[in-house]
Amino acid sequence: MSLEPGGSKVRGRIFGPSVRDDVDREIAAHIELRARELVEQGWAPDEAMREARRLFGDMDGVARACRAIADRHMRAERRTGMWEAWMQDVRYGLRTLVRAPEFALVAMVTLGLGIGANTAIFSVVDSVLLDPLPYEAAEDIVWLRERNTRGGAMGVAWANFADWREQARGFESLAAYGAGTTTILGAGEPLVGTVGTMTEGYWGVFRADATIGRLTVPSDHAPGAEPVGVVSDHFWRNELAGAPLDDLLLEIGGERVRVVGAVAGLDFPADVDVWVPLDEAVESAHRTAHNWDAVGRLAPGTTLEAAAAEMDALTLRLVAEEPPSDYLATGAVVTTLHEHVIGSSRRPLLFLLGAAGLVLLVACTNLASTLLARGASRGRELAVRASLGAPRGRIARQLLTESALLAGAGAVVGLGIAQLVLVGLRRLGPDAVPRLAELGMDASVLLYATAMAALTVIGFGLLPARRLSRADAGSALREGGRGNAADRRSLVWRVLVAGEVALALVLLVSSGLVVRSFQNLLGQDAGFDGSDVATLELSLSPAKYPAPADHVRWHDGFVRSVEALPGVSAAGFISALPVQGSLGNGRIELDGDLDKHADAAYVLVGGEAFAALDIPLLRGRTFDERDGPDDAHVAIVSQSFADEYWPGEDPIGRTVTGGGMDDHWELRTFSQVVGVVGDVRYRELGREPEPTVYFHHMQRPFRARFNANLVVEAAGGDAAALIPALRATLQRLDPDVPPRVATMEDHLVSSVASERFMVMLLGGFALLALMLAGAGIYGVVSYQVAQRTREMGIRIALGGAPGTVRGMVVRQSLGVVGLGLVLGVGGVLLGGPVVRSLLYGLEPTDPVSLGAAALLLAAAGALASWIPAARGTRVDPMITMRAE
Amino acid sequence: MKDTPLDLLKGTLDVLILKTLSREPMHGYGISRYLREATDEAFQVQEGALYPALRRLEERGLLSAHWETTDTGRQAKVYALTPAGVQELRRGISSWQGYVDAMARVLGGAGA
Repeated sequence: MSLEPGGSKVRGRIFGPSVRDDVDREIAAHIELRARELVEQGWAPDEAMREARRLFGDMDGVARACRAIADRHMRAERRTGMWEAWMQDVRYGLRTLVRAPEFALVAMVTLGLGIGANTAIFSVVDSVLLDPLPYEAAEDIVWLRERNTRGGAMGVAWANFADWREQARGFESLAAYGAGTTTILGAGEPLVGTVGTMTEGYWGVFRADATIGRLTVPSDHAPGAEPVGVVSDHFWRNELAGAPLDDLLLEIGGERVRVVGAVAGLDFPADVDVWVPLDEAVESAHRTAHNWDAVGRLAPGTTLEAAAAEMDALTLRLVAEEPPSDYLATGAVVTTLHEHVIGSSRRPLLFLLGAAGLVLLVACTNLASTLLARGASRGRELAVRASLGAPRGRIARQLLTESALLAGAGAVVGLGIAQLVLVGLRRLGPDAVPRLAELGMDASVLLYATAMAALTVIGFGLLPARRLSRADAGSALREGGRGNAADRRSLVWRVLVAGEVALALVLLVSSGLVVRSFQNLLGQDAGFDGSDVATLELSLSPAKYPAPADHVRWHDGFVRSVEALPGVSAAGFISALPVQGSLGNGRIELDGDLDKHADAAYVLVGGEAFAALDIPLLRGRTFDERDGPDDAHVAIVSQSFADEYWPGEDPIGRTVTGGGMDDHWELRTFSQVVGVVGDVRYRELGREPEPTVYFHHMQRPFRARFNANLVVEAAGGDAAALIPALRATLQRLDPDVPPRVATMEDHLVSSVASERFMVMLLGGFALLALMLAGAGIYGVVSYQVAQRTREMGIRIALGGAPGTVRGMVVRQSLGVVGLGLVLGVGGVLLGGPVVRSLLYGLEPTDPVSLGAAALLLAAAGALASWIPAARGTRVDPMITMRAE
Repeated sequence: MKDTPLDLLKGTLDVLILKTLSREPMHGYGISRYLREATDEAFQVQEGALYPALRRLEERGLLSAHWETTDTGRQAKVYALTPAGVQELRRGISSWQGYVDAMARVLGGAGA
């Protein structure tokens, strides 16, 4: 490459326009020399000129050709020049990063963690909250219920639905549906499956198509039609092994059902295995029997509001002629199906997204202060380069390249972390958050992550270049990185570190609150002790055991067999498992008077269920041998029932019945209360127990068919050890009963899955924020100590004790941490209302969470500044002073 | 003097330029004059055609060029071979030699 001034390359690059001049001059010189040669040969001067031009040929053409080649050449040169310069920047950038591996690693991991946490949570929010449900024109699908007297929502009475279907104008299709679990035989092993029951409009609402066979048609829904069912594609593949549909029969809840088709991608209600037509003929005509839910597809042009208004008015008209009752609808509740499916998880997820955002902010603040420190220590290097003639633009580009390298690396690390977190989340999964199976990372999330990385690093990576253009290079050189600029920097740092601490405090307090609220929840006295209890959820075939009494006999026989097993201390039957939520409640009549009633939970009990669950007997007695099917009916009430309905009176000897619950109004026999037991939380761990009445399963067997559980207490305390024996006993008594065996502990764990999800994620975020804040403080103090070794050396040389100097450093940074804590407390107070709804049994201002978080941060701050301070004062002062 | 001027075979001008410059750096007119004299004006070529060829060779990195003041006191653009140009010349000569040998073998055989 020729580099001398005037050399064609350099000239070409710097003085681009003169190529024309260059070409013309060369041609002119040729003609002139040629003419002179001709004159020497005896030509007349002007003849010679003409001849020289003739011999040269097309002068314009040659000039054009030459210029075209030169232009092409120059453009190529410029391209390779830029590419080379860029590659040089990249190489230089990589070298500087490798030379400061600690910085590079910290920056990459910091960015990666921030981006990873955000990408993961954003993915969850995206697929759970933002993505439409996976149905055609899903935004038109609505969910309908009736409004109760308290303004809440309740199920739809069949009679009301039938009128809705007939009279409502705002819907393209409307369907009632229900879902429950029952025994399914005929698919290999006996199993308990989820069976959806629906009216014919259901398929139209979801615009579903059969993947094989057909869906149900109106004639399948007509009274007296042959029972048919449509299985889910998943069920067909996994449980039916993809068998051909011809004459494929299943026994569902004792009824033979012919499978006519399979449907894929319809996951509402969740996990349905088989859909069967709702038998409209046997439905109750009472407008108070709220047994169903409904879905609809809005007619084209109908808004949700219009549909809601129409249904409200229609429902009021329908119930207007009924005798007044608390159990009649006061209107209709219409929401989008999306809202129904994700409703309760919106708030926690948005909260988590906010928390992840805070983590990213902490990461960015951290990175900003690190980049700033690095920029400051590189001020000298950059000043040298600038004074050697490197253009500002070039230095800025260099810094930008380094930043881009960091951002790229951070994004890659972040996506890796996000992927890991997503795997974890999917595993934590379905119990905690709806739609988690649909979870995936998509392009928008990728873009989001990359943009964030780029903005953060580039913003702060360029700061040193801006500073360089403010102060002239010479003064930066003289200053040697100290002085006024250093003062300004340390102010910026204080602000950054304080901000970081404040954000970290908000996160730590939030997670502290959620953890403590979770502890409160788990520590909640649920009124029973399930730690040593194994459970068996029963589902007997109605074909084999047609009468309720058959069920009770079977249950009783099973309890006796289990009681005889070694290691069993108590066994019994109970229709509702604690914290499970499957609890029937309704109208209970009191004191022999059918017009005097209570609203209470209705539970059937047999055997030693109270003993197995350690539900304390407070007064009277529990059920025993005296209480046979033909003996006088007895009942037991919970403490809160006695307190609410017989306050200050003796409940023993009073009478209760629940005719509407157990025998369709025909059994009017009142049972005498013989005992009072403690309150048990049947619904959820975090919900106040409701007044409960326990009846004897042999005396009122009606409901024993619907909800049947056996509870078995292990004498040694190890409930899991009982499970094989329970399975074996079941196999022996009836191999067709699906073995749904678990420990009570399992039920407890899955009942708090979403709370645990929150605790784990938020705890992880808080831990991250704590580490990031610590790393940030450490980085800044290390840098400051490095800058101040000389000053510290002098102090120590002049007799200052190293301990005092260290103390000074730590005190200074604790001052900044303190400022951050004050800011953080402000943040916590502001954010309180957001957190409150997620808390159980404590206030957002909980002093323990606040105090612990502040102490933890202060300790981390002290440690993070003591380490570099100790390192700075450990060296011989003479050496540090000479090092300058 | 020539009888009938020959058309210059495609690509041969490049080799001729490189060969010319292998003796010493020259400006365009010098190259043109040398080629005329050395070939006894055997080739029918417009003198201007030399310049685009020079540009192309320069672009390919086979020549370097700079402006110089000649002994007569005028500015001239002087071309010189680069190391890559030397290599290219060697390659050009040997391929030309091969071409000539092959032609000679065939044409010699036809004449016998």
